[in-house]
Amino acid sequence: MTRAKTSAVRKASDSAPDIAWRWDDAPPDMDYVREALFRHIGKPVARKEDKRLLTGKGRFTDDFNLPGQTYAAMVRSPHPHARILGIDASAALAAPGVLAVLTGVDVLADGLGPIPHNPLPKTNFDMKLSAPGGGAPFIGPHLLLPADKVRHVGEAVAVVVAESAAQAMDAAELVDVDYEELDFVIDALDAASGSCPSVVWDEVPDNVFVETHFGDREATDAAFARAAHVVEASFHIDRVTGVPMEPRAALAAFDAESGKYTLYAGSGGAVRQKNELAEVLGIEPKSLRVLSFDVGGNFGTRNRTYVEFGLTLWASRRVGRPVKYTATRSEAFLTDYQGRDLHTTVALAMDAEGRFLAMRADNLSNVGARCVSLSPLSKGSGLITGSYDIPAATLRSRAVFTNTMCTQAYRSSGRPEVTYAIERLVEIAAKQIGMDPIELRRRNMIAPDRMPYRNAVGQVYDSGTYETNMDQAMALFDWDGFAARREEATARGMLLGRGLANYVESSIGSPRERAEITVLPDGRIEVVIGTQPSGQGHETSFAQVVADMLGVPVETVTIIIGDTDVVSVGGGSHSGRSMRHAGTVMAMASSELLAEARRRAAEHFDVALDRIERDGDQYRVAGTNHTVGLFELAALPSGPLAVARTNEMHTPVFPNGTAICEVEIDPELCHVEITRYATIDDVGRCINPMIVHGQTHGGIAQGVGQAMWELCVTDPDSGQPLAGSFMDYGMPRADNLPSFDAEIAEVISPTNPLGIKAGGEGGTTPALATVTLAVLDALAPLGVTDIKMPLTPNTIWRAIGEARQQEKGVME
Amino acid sequence: MYAFDYHRARSLEEALKLFATLDEATFLAGGHTLLPTMKNRLAAPENLIDISALPELSGIGMQGGVLRIGAAMTHHAVAASSLVAETIPALAALAGSIGDVQVRHVGTMGGSVANNDPAADYPAAVLSLGAEIETDRRRIPADDFFQGLYATALEEGELIVAIRFPVPETAGYGKYRNPASRYALAASFVSIRDGAVRVAVTGAGKNGVFRWEAAEQALMGHCSASRIADLRPESDALLSDMHADAAFRANLVNVVTRRAAEHLGGASIV
Ligand SMILES: Cc1cc2nc3c(=O)[nH]c(=O)nc-3n(C[C@H](O)[C@H](O)[C@H](O)COP(=O)(O)OP(=O)(O)OC[C@H]3O[C@@H](n4cnc5c(N)ncnc54)[C@H](O)[C@@H]3O)c2cc1C
Repeated sequence: MTRAKTSAVRKASDSAPDIAWRWDDAPPDMDYVREALFRHIGKPVARKEDKRLLTGKGRFTDDFNLPGQTYAAMVRSPHPHARILGIDASAALAAPGVLAVLTGVDVLADGLGPIPHNPLPKTNFDMKLSAPGGGAPFIGPHLLLPADKVRHVGEAVAVVVAESAAQAMDAAELVDVDYEELDFVIDALDAASGSCPSVVWDEVPDNVFVETHFGDREATDAAFARAAHVVEASFHIDRVTGVPMEPRAALAAFDAESGKYTLYAGSGGAVRQKNELAEVLGIEPKSLRVLSFDVGGNFGTRNRTYVEFGLTLWASRRVGRPVKYTATRSEAFLTDYQGRDLHTTVALAMDAEGRFLAMRADNLSNVGARCVSLSPLSKGSGLITGSYDIPAATLRSRAVFTNTMCTQAYRSSGRPEVTYAIERLVEIAAKQIGMDPIELRRRNMIAPDRMPYRNAVGQVYDSGTYETNMDQAMALFDWDGFAARREEATARGMLLGRGLANYVESSIGSPRERAEITVLPDGRIEVVIGTQPSGQGHETSFAQVVADMLGVPVETVTIIIGDTDVVSVGGGSHSGRSMRHAGTVMAMASSELLAEARRRAAEHFDVALDRIERDGDQYRVAGTNHTVGLFELAALPSGPLAVARTNEMHTPVFPNGTAICEVEIDPELCHVEITRYATIDDVGRCINPMIVHGQTHGGIAQGVGQAMWELCVTDPDSGQPLAGSFMDYGMPRADNLPSFDAEIAEVISPTNPLGIKAGGEGGTTPALATVTLAVLDALAPLGVTDIKMPLTPNTIWRAIGEARQQEKGVME
Repeated sequence: MYAFDYHRARSLEEALKLFATLDEATFLAGGHTLLPTMKNRLAAPENLIDISALPELSGIGMQGGVLRIGAAMTHHAVAASSLVAETIPALAALAGSIGDVQVRHVGTMGGSVANNDPAADYPAAVLSLGAEIETDRRRIPADDFFQGLYATALEEGELIVAIRFPVPETAGYGKYRNPASRYALAASFVSIRDGAVRVAVTGAGKNGVFRWEAAEQALMGHCSASRIADLRPESDALLSDMHADAAFRANLVNVVTRRAAEHLGGASIV
C-alpha cells in the first residue's frame, strides 16, 4: 500500500527559509536516527491497546469512583441571551439528598478566576491575530458560572450537588432562575453587521473582537487590475460538533489535610487541564493532580478546559466530598465545544492562460459566546492559497461573538474550511475560462523544486510532491474509467459525479514536549510522555519509535500517559502534533540514553568509550566477547538507567494530498450514495501504516459527515439549537461509506529527525470539498451550479428545483 | 430519568390488575421509545409494568385468512417469521427495515402501534392492510385507531394483545429513511385486497399516518406506478421540519408510493 519513499528535493534559493532540523545541535547518538535501519518503524504493528479496550478493561473517566462520592447536575440556560436577575435555590436546597447549590455569585465570592483559555496559537510560525486596530483581543472571560448574563442556550448558571445523580438532576429542575430575555444573534454575518441589536459583550459593542489583515495589498491589487479573469465566491462552512462516543465526565476530590485536589477527567492533554484549572482555583499547579487515561473520542472537543471540570473541583472543596459529573448525550450536543462555522469570501485573479496571479480572502469566524480558541481562524488564514502557487494575496481575518456555544479547533482546525473555499473557487474558475479543472490545477500546483515554499501569506510549506499526489490519486480512483461508469449509471436513471480536491494543511500545535525513558532491570522500558491519545494508538506507535532507537523488541516498551503526578510537561494531542513532537523528543531522549548506556558499558568493562560497540541492546568491547545487555546495565549499582528530555520545536510541517469522491444520486429521492473514495496522503515518515490508515478512514468519515449530514441547526426565530440528539444530528455510518482506496505517500519532512508530518487530519481536510464537488458534478446536467452543505436530500431537491426555475426563466 | 418502580407482569390478567391498582402506571414493552423519553425527562411514570413476557401477547399464527401477530413480538421476530414472509412479504420487509439490529431485537409491534409515532413504520402497514387492533377488551379497526400524532383510540389502561392482518392479494412497501434517525422520512404501504387498493403513508403527515385516497383511486383496477406519476398529496397536510419541508415530502410521498407499487410482493427501502 505504501508508495515508494521520495526524498524532498531541496533547492537553495535566496527566499528559501531555513526550516531544516539542526543535526549539529542534536544530542549524541542522534545520527542513529538518520541511519537506522528501522525494524519496527514503518510496520503495521498490531495495536497494544486494543485488547484492553475490547475486553472492557479501558479506564474511562466515568469508570472511576471514590468513597463517599456525590454527584453534580447543571442548571442550564434555556435562553440564548438573557440577564440573570436572580436565582432562588431554596426549593432545590430543600429537596432530598441535596448538599449544595452554587451560582455565579458564589464563584465571584470565592474569588475563582476565568479559565485562561489562551486562544491565540503560540508558536513562532502561527499567523498572529489581533484586536481591530491592533493589540490583544478581548476574549470574554470564561467564569465557571456567569453572574451577569447567559450568552448561549445550555450555558450552566448553577450547579447542584446531591447524594445521587438522580437527586441532583431532580433538584436542578427546582432551581428558579429569574431571566430578562435579551436580543440574541446566531449567525456571524448578522453579528458583525455593524448594526446588530445583540451585543454579546459590552466590551465589544460591534461583536467583532479580532480583525487582522495579511498579505501584500499593493501587489494583490495590481495583479487583480491586470488579470484577464477574476472569479469570486462566498461560502459558509457551517457549525458541527464532535460527538465523541464517551460523553465528557469529571470526578474531583479535595483532600483538606494536604490541600491537594485530584481530578479524573478525560481530555486531550492532562497537563493543560492541570495548569488552567489551578489558575481558576487560584492554587499552585502542584496542588492539583489530573488523571486522564482512556479517552473515548476527542476530535478537538476535549482539548480545552470545561467549566464542569472546575465546578466539580470547587464543589468537592465546598461539600468536603468527591463530586462526580457525567454529561448526558443531550448536554454533549448542547455544550461540547463545537467546530467550524466560517464565512469566507474569496476571489482569484488569473492571466489569460489560467495562471493564478493573486487571491483575496475575507474570513469571518464565529467563536460563539466566548473565545476559547482562535486556532481555526489562524490555521485557515495561513492556508488560503491551498496547494497552488499564487504569488500575491490579501486576507482579512475576523472573529466575532454570537449567542451560540463556543467553537474550538475541530479535527483539522480551520483547514477543511479554506480547502473547501479554494477548491470550489478553482472549479468555478475552470468553468468560467472553459478549461479542464484538472489542467487548471496542474498549471498552478506548487512544484517540488519550489520547496520549501513560502506562500503569499507567509507560511512555509516544508516539502511535498503535490502533482504526483494528484496523479496517483487519479490512478487509484480510476479517473479515466469514469465516463463508462457514468454511462452505466445513467442507464439506471442515476446521476454520477466526481469531485477532486488537493489539500495542504499545517500541523503546528503546542511547541513543548517531554519524554522520560527508564530502563528497568526486569526487562521493561517505561516511557512517560505528555500527549493524550483518544484512539490514535500512541501506546503502539510510540513504542515502535523507542524500540527501534534502543534496539529492543517493541513489546518491552510501555507508554505512560495521563497522570500529571507522573507527566510534568506535555502539549497534549491536537493539530497533528503528537507523533512528530513525541517522536522527536523520544528520539532525543533515546539517543541520550544510548550514550549513557555506552558510558556505563565502558565503565563496567573499564575500557575507553570508543571501544564499546553496540548491536541491538547488546554492548560489546570491540574485538572481544565481553558483552553486557541494556537491561543488565540498568541493574548495575550505578543507579537507575533513565533520562528525561524536554524539547521545544516550532517549525510546522505541511501534510498534503489529493482525495477524490464519486457519488451516485437518485434524482427522484435526491439520495446521495458515495460509491468511490480514493486518497493519497503525504504524512511524512509513516511509523505505523495500519494506524495511519485507520486515521485516514476515520478522518474521511468525519469530513464526509459534515459534507453530507452533520449540522448544528439553530432555529433563527428562537435561537434554540434544534439538532439535540441522534434523531436530528446525522452521523456518518459505516453503511453510508464505500471501502476507501487510501494510500500513503512518504515525503520525508526536513523539519524533524524522523521526517514526520502528520496523519490524523488529512482524511478530513479535503473531504468537504470532494463530496460537494462530486455532487455538483452529478447535478451539473440539471443546471445546478451551487449548493450548500450538508448535502441532504432536501437540499439537493431544492437545488434541482431552483436550477429548473432558472432554466425556465432563461427560456421565457 | 425520574425515579420509578418496575413490575414484571406474568400474565395479561396480572398486568391489568397492576395497572388498576398502581398510581401513574405505564406499560413497558421493548422500552425503545418509552425509556429514551423518560431519560429525557419528558415522561415520568411512577410505575412501569413490563408486558414484554406476557404469553397472551406472544406468537404469530394464521386464523382463517387473518395473520395474527402478538403485540409483544419483536420486529426481528416478525422479519424472521417464515409465515409472515409467505403471507405478507412486504410486512416482513418492513419489520426488517426498522432501526438497527439491536432495536429490532427489543422493540415490539404493539409498542410501535400504541405509540403511533408519525415516522414509525408499522402504522403504515396496519392502516393499509385494514388490520384490526385486538385489545384486552375489543377489536378496533385500523381506520378508527390512529388519531393523530402519538394519539390512538386506546383508552386508559387498554392493552394491545395482538394485531390481526387480513392477508391481501399483494402488498408493497416503499421507504426513504431519514439520514439522521433512520425512521421514515416518507414511506408508503400499498396493498390490494378484494380488488381494492389501499395506500397508507407514514413519515410525512402532519397528523401522522394517513390514507392517500387520491392515489388509491388512481391505482384502482390497475396498480401501476405510472398512474400516479404526477400525483402528489397536498403540502398543507404534510410535516415540515429541518430534514424535509412539506413540498419535498410531497415529492417523496409520490416517489415512495410509486416504488411500493413497483415492488408489490416486496419492498424498496433506501
Ligand atoms: C435507535 C432507534 C431506532 C428506531 N428506528 C425505528 C424505525 O426506523 N422505525 C420505527 O418504526 N421505529 C423505530 N424505532 C422505534 C422502535 O421501533 C420502538 O421499539 C417502538 O416504536 C416502540 O416499541 P417498544 O416495544 O419499544 O415500546 P415501548 O417503548 O416499551 O412503549 C412505547 C409506548 O407504547 C406503550 N405500549 C407498549 N406496548 C403496548 C401494548 N401492547 N399495548 C398498549 N400500549 C403499549 C407503552 O406504554 C409506551 O407508551 C427506533 C427506536 C430506536 C431506539
